[in-house]
Amino acid sequence: MSAEQPRLDEEEVLLAFSVEPMHDSATLEHYLSQYPEHTQALVDCSIELMMNASRAGEDVQVSSDQVVGQAWRQFQAAMGSAQSSVIANPFGQLTPTAFKSMAKRLDISNLFLIRVRERAIDAATIPRRLVQRLAAELGATADAVSAYLGSPPSIVSGQSFRSNVKPAVAAQISFEQAVETSQLKPAQKEALRALRD
Amino acid sequence: MPTALKHKQRDGTPYRRPPNIESWIEKLEAVDVASRLSQFARASRKHSEYVPTEVVLHFLRRAWIDGEQGQFEKIFGILLPRVEQSLRSTIWNSRIGSATDIRDEIVSRFVVLITKDCTSQSNRLDFFEIHFDQAMVALRTSVLRKFKSIVGDITTVPLGSQESDGPEVSPEVEGALEAFLSGDPQEIDDPAFRSVLFAAIDLLPQDQKQVIGLLLQGIPIDAKEKDVMTIARILQCDERTVRNRRDRACKALKALLEKEAEL
Repeated sequence: MSAEQPRLDEEEVLLAFSVEPMHDSATLEHYLSQYPEHTQALVDCSIELMMNASRAGEDVQVSSDQVVGQAWRQFQAAMGSAQSSVIANPFGQLTPTAFKSMAKRLDISNLFLIRVRERAIDAATIPRRLVQRLAAELGATADAVSAYLGSPPSIVSGQSFRSNVKPAVAAQISFEQAVETSQLKPAQKEALRALRD
Repeated sequence: MPTALKHKQRDGTPYRRPPNIESWIEKLEAVDVASRLSQFARASRKHSEYVPTEVVLHFLRRAWIDGEQGQFEKIFGILLPRVEQSLRSTIWNSRIGSATDIRDEIVSRFVVLITKDCTSQSNRLDFFEIHFDQAMVALRTSVLRKFKSIVGDITTVPLGSQESDGPEVSPEVEGALEAFLSGDPQEIDDPAFRSVLFAAIDLLPQDQKQVIGLLLQGIPIDAKEKDVMTIARILQCDERTVRNRRDRACKALKALLEKEAEL
């Protein structure tokens, strides 16, 4: 096996093993020598494949409606989050400390930057020059940051909620409203307004 | 001509579907969607026109690529019961603890694979287009191993105890078991016996099940030659430990088979 090839995880090794045309001791030996780190899994899989061969062809009644309903809901939920994560969150890798440092360097309040990150501000009202400054700080392109800010607001994963009220996505506010209500000092407000196109 | 699979083997060549699966796909590509869906809906494997699940899966993936969401949902509704069916016939509900939870885990993992396929993050579903049932066995094994690492061994019936000798084993059952353990499993003609035996093996503690399972695959317990694959070397334990596990397993299996014979 070439050293450059990435190591396969257990599931992938077992899947490759399972579709081998023969499951004799030679095939098992080959896989054990190729993937010694998955020995136990391969042994278990070889036994299950052997026993499965004698069960093939059995018909079993299943309660399909429940299974399909549950699986379909899971699929839709997963696709929903997958599609929204297609646009990468440029703030995703920032630690809380790095986030605060970034707010300081941009000379804006933490609350204002949080509102930007949470997409609580209508992207159409955010000055292009601010987007460019955010992009420079985040090490991303202005277009990538724009795409993120323009995607639908959502409840940010990784946050814990303890509330009697179900968390919901709040309505977006304008850039001007955000400047007014984000605990910014007068000079900071002026600086932000000066960035308007 | 069906589209080629993307997943590559270690030597860099792409995996290929078996010829019979390719033929089924070609045949069903030529018919209209409604006819295809009605053929997919045949639930019994015994039906002469039963469409292999590998083929159903292929058309599910195709529907997604083509943006045919309605068709995708319909095929999804046909495929998932088949996934569950393959699990129902391999996990004995009455004998394994939390069988429903395990099944849900496996189905859930399969749905994750569909999701990743749809978002082009993975093409592991290729394996399921080659041999669906066997790939499901691999998926099941992987999920079960993770499940066991969290909740412990899921076997609920204690076997292998040395407290009781149990009932006397009939010579027929003992003979059948010994023949089975010493020979090729395919040589056992009686599918009913094989089914009972495998169900019993499934109930063994994991260490004993591994020894019996490897013996049934013709792997020796030990060998003087260093380049021979043996059970002791695979499981990295002393050959006496392997023999002890085998003996305890045989005792438990004999008791179980005797019990089955009484019913």
